[in-house]
Amino acid sequence: MHDLHEKHARSAVTAVELNAVTRLFGANPALVRADVRVAPGEVVVLRGPNGAGKTTVLRIMATALSPTYGHGSVLGFDLVRERDAIRRHTDLMSHRTRLYEDLSAAENLRFWCRLLGVDGADIQAALDRVGLLEVAGERVRGFSQGMRQRVAVARTLLRRPQILLLDEPYTGLDAEAHHAVDDLIREASRDGRAVVVATHHTMQRGLADRVLFMDGGRIVREGEP
Amino acid sequence: MRLLRHAATIAAKDVRAEIRAKHALATLLPFAATLLVSFGFAFGPGRDVLLRTAPGLLWMAVLFAAVIAARRAYQIESEDGALEGLLLAPIDKAAVFLGKAAAVALQLLMLVACALVLVVVLFDLTVRGPLVLAAAFGLGAVGLAAVGGLFGVLAEAARTREALFPTLVLPLVTPVLVAGVRATDLAATGRTDEAIAWLGLLVAFDVVFVSLGVLVFGFLMED
Repeated sequence: MHDLHEKHARSAVTAVELNAVTRLFGANPALVRADVRVAPGEVVVLRGPNGAGKTTVLRIMATALSPTYGHGSVLGFDLVRERDAIRRHTDLMSHRTRLYEDLSAAENLRFWCRLLGVDGADIQAALDRVGLLEVAGERVRGFSQGMRQRVAVARTLLRRPQILLLDEPYTGLDAEAHHAVDDLIREASRDGRAVVVATHHTMQRGLADRVLFMDGGRIVREGEP
Repeated sequence: MRLLRHAATIAAKDVRAEIRAKHALATLLPFAATLLVSFGFAFGPGRDVLLRTAPGLLWMAVLFAAVIAARRAYQIESEDGALEGLLLAPIDKAAVFLGKAAAVALQLLMLVACALVLVVVLFDLTVRGPLVLAAAFGLGAVGLAAVGGLFGVLAEAARTREALFPTLVLPLVTPVLVAGVRATDLAATGRTDEAIAWLGLLVAFDVVFVSLGVLVFGFLMED
């Protein structure tokens, strides 16, 4: 955590910052000169049609993709030069849940806890919070998309990242899983952690602070939720 | 130490998932058995021919099983986006390579044990140098798993991965095949002294590809 405190002095106001970031896939621009700032504790929503560039923004913030042009930082760490530091404090959650079909829910969480350097003592409690304690020992192969998503929420609960990036987190969810995602966002924001959500769904009133509308790889306007 | 601990975690996860899915049991073993039995019939009952071809057939079975096992090792990472999770985990990416390679090598060694029993029974093969044989297959499994672990991640990103992976891997592992067959042949006939040079080649191959994997795997995974 020492590196994080050090950087916090530099980025007390901004948790995530993209400056004129462009991302090309071959010759095709997926993102064009995007400027984004997210404050600690703020919940920012990205909206726009398919192909608008929402996922690209999140993947650049998570360091899964590098900007082709422009620069940016997360918690004061440079997006390209300090990827490892960013990865220690950032979690990208999408409808692809990164679970292994032939492992149980608890085994999946134990595996990720070991790799992410998270204490796995609270796995049962996390599964209980998302309503999956009774199926903790069952293989994920038999889970619905909603149940898988709840296991992913439990993983994020265990990790408590400083920056939470959610890519279409409501896709294919039942009401219970929908609430679990909402609780996750609310809790992160209350703890002063920044949240960026790309979604087509209408979010619960009061959950988001700001909406960025995207189209054709550009941020076209900013508005109230 | 953290690198090895993370590698062990990934290897243990892969082995556990494979035991549950019974992929090795359902695919690799029948494949190896079919290859050995069908060639056994094709060559006819002449004992000399069978004995001369046994080491080569055994290694062919191991080689193709290695291609299948290494592809499978990355397939389970792609099913639900887990490979990106490994990329974004705050770990040395060499741990992913070492973990994957260790899990594939373990599967290959289990396959070798079963295939050897088949060859001894079907081809009436007598092993006069069991230590050399064990060393050849141990070193060969590590080399095949290292190449598979290294190129599996490259092939995973390609749309033509099913064709690309064997095209990349098979030419590269030719030294393992040649050295493995020669060492196995010499172990079977009891000329173990002559096998040392071939084992040395296998050691060199392992050192080169394990080192290469540790050094470059992170770059292959990144955008």
